[in-house]
Amino acid sequence: MIARLRSRPGAVALFGLAALTPLVVRDAYFLDSLVLILLWGALSAAWNVAGGYAGQVSIGHASFFGIGAYAAALMVTRFGQGPWLGMLAGVVLSLGAGFIIGFLSNRLKGPYFALSTIAFAQVLLIGVSRWRGFTAGGEGIPVPFRPGFATLGLGHVGWVYMALAAALLCYGVEVYLERSRIGYRLAGVREDEDAAEALGIPTRRLKVFAVALSAALTSVCGSLWAQYIGFVDPTYVFSVDLSVRFALNAIIGGMGTALGPYLGSILITSLETYLRATFSGVKTGFAGIYLIIYGTALIVVVRFAPGGLAGVASRLRARRAQA
Amino acid sequence: MDSARRLGPAQIDVLAQLAVATVLLGGIYALIAVGLTLIFGIMRVVNFAHGEFLMLGMYLAFWAFALYAVDPYVVVLVSIPVFFVVGLVAYVLVMRGVIQASHNVQIFTTVGLSVVLQNVALVAWSGDFRFVRPWHLSTVIRAGATIFNLTQVVAFLIAVALTIALVAFMKWTHAGRVMRATAQDRDAATLMGIDTDRVYRLTFAIGIAAVGAAGVLVAPLYSVYPTAGLQFVLISYVVVVLGGLGDMFGAMLGSFIVALVEVAGSYLFGTAWKEIFYFILFILVLVFRPVGLFGQRGAETLGV
Repeated sequence: MIARLRSRPGAVALFGLAALTPLVVRDAYFLDSLVLILLWGALSAAWNVAGGYAGQVSIGHASFFGIGAYAAALMVTRFGQGPWLGMLAGVVLSLGAGFIIGFLSNRLKGPYFALSTIAFAQVLLIGVSRWRGFTAGGEGIPVPFRPGFATLGLGHVGWVYMALAAALLCYGVEVYLERSRIGYRLAGVREDEDAAEALGIPTRRLKVFAVALSAALTSVCGSLWAQYIGFVDPTYVFSVDLSVRFALNAIIGGMGTALGPYLGSILITSLETYLRATFSGVKTGFAGIYLIIYGTALIVVVRFAPGGLAGVASRLRARRAQA
Repeated sequence: MDSARRLGPAQIDVLAQLAVATVLLGGIYALIAVGLTLIFGIMRVVNFAHGEFLMLGMYLAFWAFALYAVDPYVVVLVSIPVFFVVGLVAYVLVMRGVIQASHNVQIFTTVGLSVVLQNVALVAWSGDFRFVRPWHLSTVIRAGATIFNLTQVVAFLIAVALTIALVAFMKWTHAGRVMRATAQDRDAATLMGIDTDRVYRLTFAIGIAAVGAAGVLVAPLYSVYPTAGLQFVLISYVVVVLGGLGDMFGAMLGSFIVALVEVAGSYLFGTAWKEIFYFILFILVLVFRPVGLFGQRGAETLGV
């Protein structure tokens, strides 16, 4: 155990620091940023399970996020149950949706798969916006705050640990995919599907598995997000922007690496929080500046550093080892 | 079917109106989609930023109208060279470096470009909905029992003229032939002395010029805002996949099919649900016939 932890100093430092921070810092603004960094990181790690480890690059992961968010919100507001049950319902529904998209991934590759995932999220967006009687349509649903663990009504410190738990869950799944037999097989599918198939790896089943697993994790984070923010609306939770964001953190941090999505999230989320705070009073449109920066970062990173921050770090380490 | 929809003289009029609406809408979708399909067919890149160039075209029409009271249909003429240059710049700065890269790199490069352009528009011009209201928007034309406005008709005619010009260019000019040769076999084209980088540059610039002009044309018909391109680009993905990615005739036919689905869907089920039909159509086509309704040349390079 100790040896294993020692092999991942970055993760120990990152998650350890996150766990210790609330003991020292009580500033609500700072803790809020930390929760968001952990949640966005967890979401990107969930995306990474399909996009990075299995090579099924989706631009429609907001589908699963929205399913989780709506499942939790509706379970509380319509059925009078706790958000945990909503989270479970979200996971079940997302697994179903994940199987459908996983099935699509067996038929479609590259841009075709990306397009089909966008279309899937759009169908959900339109469905949820129009089904007013049940989902309250485009107005969205305010999620009531009821203090207590069972109702996920936590304070800032409580939320830091909740987000940390989600982050560790997604990180754990990633690490599992790096070390297990199933992970090696997925790498085979990602690198050369025909070769993997020739070696007797059940490529189709594995892709569906990876997409469904990624969908379920995304849904869990979506449910938490709905409870944390306290409001869900279809145009945000099913948006293309959100799907891009999940991918973006992972790509900037390092696709297919366990810690990459978290590195990306630290960079992007703190940049966003900083710029939002700086420009919030000036002019509403200025919030777009961080999006310009992150779009540019995306273009530059995929071209010049396709391994992301994690890739750059390991290259530097290799160079130092050589010298 | 309720009595109101039973076929009588009044319903035949409705059908005529729906048919005209389908044709007018389809013509515009065709111009948006041919640019996308051209870029895909020749460069093998799905341009996820296509809608944002459309949005820029809409803003060009808006500002020309708001500041100098220039009619959008005059702006169209200017927009073609302007967006040709925009396309060249975008190619040199962004696309050139990723032409040989993997699909994922290309996808995220154009997605990144889309995010940047959307937010440049947001920061520069705010998220307000803007409207272009030239005089011809309120000029009603009646033909038989059908009613439509002059703007729609002119937009349709210009869109069709531009689309036909583009198809003719690809088919009968030397440059068009060179472009098609590159699409068929990049390596063989290079061996024949074709400068493929120039071909891609030209392709991207032409595709962007087409969609920019389309943006100017649709500006009076829809509201103008930074993410206005999204709805159109989603439609043009449907169109282009339906027609077979890279197939220009397929894209034209696909445009009218999607327009028909949209018009019939909003008539039968209300406008609120119209979009869901073409997305479902889209997913069905992707699942059962990913090479498009008419098959597609070069589909195997995508592993479909």
